[in-house]
Amino acid sequence: MCFPDSAETIAAAVRVARRHGRPFVARGSGTGLAGGAVPVDDPVVIVTTRCNRVLDVDPVQRVAWVEPGVLNLDLSRTIRHLGLHYAPDPSSQAACSIGGNVATNAGGPHCLAYGVTAMHVLAVEVVLPDGSVTTLGGLEPDAPGYDLRGCFVGSEGTMGIATRIAVRLTPNPPEVATLLLDFTSVDDAAATVSGTIASGALPAALEMMDAKITRAVEDFVGAGYPRDAEAVLLVEVDGLADGVAEQVAAVSEIGKANGARHVRVAADDAERALLWKGRKSAFGAIARIAPDYYLHDAVVPRSKLLDVLRRVYAIADEHALTMMNVFHAGDGNLHPLIAYDRRQPGVWEHVYEAGTEILRTCIDAGGVLSGEHGVGLEKRDLMPLLFSPDDLDAQARLRDAFDPDGAANPEKVLPRGSRCGELTAERASIGDKSCPLSTHALWWCRSVGEHIGKLAVGRPRSATGSWKCARPRA
Amino acid sequence: MSTRSEGPLGLDDDALAACVACGLCLPHCPTYRVTGLEFASPRGRIAAMREVEAGSMPIDDSFERAMTECVQCRACEAACPSSVPFGHMMEDTRAALTEQEHGTSASRPRRALEWVGYRLVLPHHIVLLGATWLLLAAQKLHLVPKRLALPALSPRSLARRLDVERGGQPHAWLFTGCVMDAWLRDTHRSTARVMRATGATIARPGAGGDCCGALHVHAGRREEARTLARRIIASMPGDAPVVVNSAGCGAAMKEYGVLLDTPDARAFSARVRDFSEWVVERGVPATSRSATPIVVQDPCHLRHVQRSHLAVRTALGESFALVELDDDGLCCGAGGAYAATQPELATAIRDRKVDAIRNAVGQPDPVVASANPGCMLHLRAAGLDVRHPADLLAEVLDG
Repeated sequence: MCFPDSAETIAAAVRVARRHGRPFVARGSGTGLAGGAVPVDDPVVIVTTRCNRVLDVDPVQRVAWVEPGVLNLDLSRTIRHLGLHYAPDPSSQAACSIGGNVATNAGGPHCLAYGVTAMHVLAVEVVLPDGSVTTLGGLEPDAPGYDLRGCFVGSEGTMGIATRIAVRLTPNPPEVATLLLDFTSVDDAAATVSGTIASGALPAALEMMDAKITRAVEDFVGAGYPRDAEAVLLVEVDGLADGVAEQVAAVSEIGKANGARHVRVAADDAERALLWKGRKSAFGAIARIAPDYYLHDAVVPRSKLLDVLRRVYAIADEHALTMMNVFHAGDGNLHPLIAYDRRQPGVWEHVYEAGTEILRTCIDAGGVLSGEHGVGLEKRDLMPLLFSPDDLDAQARLRDAFDPDGAANPEKVLPRGSRCGELTAERASIGDKSCPLSTHALWWCRSVGEHIGKLAVGRPRSATGSWKCARPRA
Repeated sequence: MSTRSEGPLGLDDDALAACVACGLCLPHCPTYRVTGLEFASPRGRIAAMREVEAGSMPIDDSFERAMTECVQCRACEAACPSSVPFGHMMEDTRAALTEQEHGTSASRPRRALEWVGYRLVLPHHIVLLGATWLLLAAQKLHLVPKRLALPALSPRSLARRLDVERGGQPHAWLFTGCVMDAWLRDTHRSTARVMRATGATIARPGAGGDCCGALHVHAGRREEARTLARRIIASMPGDAPVVVNSAGCGAAMKEYGVLLDTPDARAFSARVRDFSEWVVERGVPATSRSATPIVVQDPCHLRHVQRSHLAVRTALGESFALVELDDDGLCCGAGGAYAATQPELATAIRDRKVDAIRNAVGQPDPVVASANPGCMLHLRAAGLDVRHPADLLAEVLDG
């Protein structure tokens, strides 16, 4: 484990690791929810917590160069006096680092209107897995060549480590209003979400919390969240004063038409901050209910939100588990959360099974595996639920272009067998040099794919028919 | 019902399990902030406690170091959405380390020094006062190195008695404590002036009401702390509020109920008030307006443990223009005896605080208000003009 304190020392750490034939993994604040920074295969762990300087702020171009260990909220704090902030605001923003945000392409409540991390990273200086340092993207509006910056953001440390990051700074909106709507049923809250989006309004944030999580959060912050509500919506609108007033009226009306009991508009910054503190503490407050939780991160089409939510609660009931939902309703990013106590025998199997069922439900509804937490270790073996062997192979080849030796964050994101090219190595290791790749590849892809399919879902994915590998690669 | 684990530290099982490792405590932890090390963070320390309790990690030097490097500011506790009782877990752990005398590298001289400090000097006020005179003499002879950051003592203040009677039946008790009374007696004089200006009659504790045992609790010397706590409770009988102008002492006294776990102790704890808290409850006396801007620095045990730091603003707000810090009340590194036991970390932590203070007010020599002797002395040693809210209020009292 090493603790570099600058871009140069991060790069040096990678080079030393490689010289000794060791893989490496970067770790920021350790707030990730998919195990992306968990060391597998005995790697050198490169911890970026000491690379925590904001290197340069250009308030005119609205760009800041930061080191990867800078905490998300610290960045916004540093530039507050300029009337600027860094827009992507994961719930863990007080603790998580910009480097980690880049790795997972992190989202957050305000990404509904402002866009996720990828839209706020202009350039990244990275140390590639071979130890060389290069800059992807640039400060100019349209950097020439392929958008490799776009590739790198969200690559979860599998293409190298960001050593310096140029982030876009966003002007603070002239006017902000935060509304709290409370409902006697989750259905009504979900209908309000759909209604709001359908009306053409685009709130800055649109968050839902159900009854259990609302009570846990209220126990912590005391922000006046209603303890008897079945669901609450936290809605933020911003912009010019007149527009904000209009949007507040529109959202209130839609809420009331869908059965909102109360619509409370935060009176001042302090009240707004307290409401947000509640929402952003939700995961951390789970121990008030049970000491462990398994949190999911799926995205479903907003039109299916209500159906999926009902099914999610039903799955939890079938397994007799405590289910909570706190999520970015506006963009259909669900966070079903199962609270449990690992000291209870046999409970983990149910938690895991229910979790997989939930994901399958989301994907069947046209959703995807991960909204913002990343794939990491946790969802790696579920990737075939969503991606065909062709998709996986394409992703694996892109990864290989950055990291042909598989040294960067090994065993993450892509399940084993994603590459048809892996067969060459597998074949060599079993001493089989005669077998023609085409037939062998087919067999390997099929069997590995099926194996993973069974592991993940108990059945092969039927939508694509078979696990046949279309383009074996020598 | 919570249960104690059967591991070597005997921690509360449910408390140990309650950390979900979300990491929201990290930015509030002063030692994590300056080191970037997981084992210097609350989350890492809890993980280490779990390993030790489960028997998968020995109590070794690195474990002891992780535990003794904690400032016990308890900011993590206030930040924790699941309210993990980290402060009590740390106190339990230190008590286990102290009581069991693990064969770790804590040296004999250090233990001897601790014995003198905790058993001889702090609980015996006369010894502390004697030691203070010796220290003063040494200071006059320039025998005390600057790096020890001890306060400049005033013989004028030390020679004069505090003009408050011991015992009786006052409207409110003024708790004078041990180090405060020896090193910062002028602050007690200010406190008494302000308290009397509200029309209250006041008294100091009777015999034995000196050291509250806060430092003992922090050091894991819980039995000694219990003895001191009983003495303190007996020294201030009745129902009158107990006014404490040292945030660390006030926090410890508000937790006597937990420490002793008796109805008497709980009733006593309920009477304890921080100075500003009491003044605001009683009604801030009439003052004149001062032009000096004051940077408010919240002592951790006022903000994170007592959670009554807002009262300082109400107490001072009418008389001064207050300037807030933008650091979520991050610790200054004083931490009771921490500045003496962990000087390197304490200094690194203080540097952050000094930067935050200078940035907030935009001038190099701001006046800082801080309601805890540890913070006052530690920050003064960095060259800041730090005053107790009672001193500030006393200066602007009408008449």
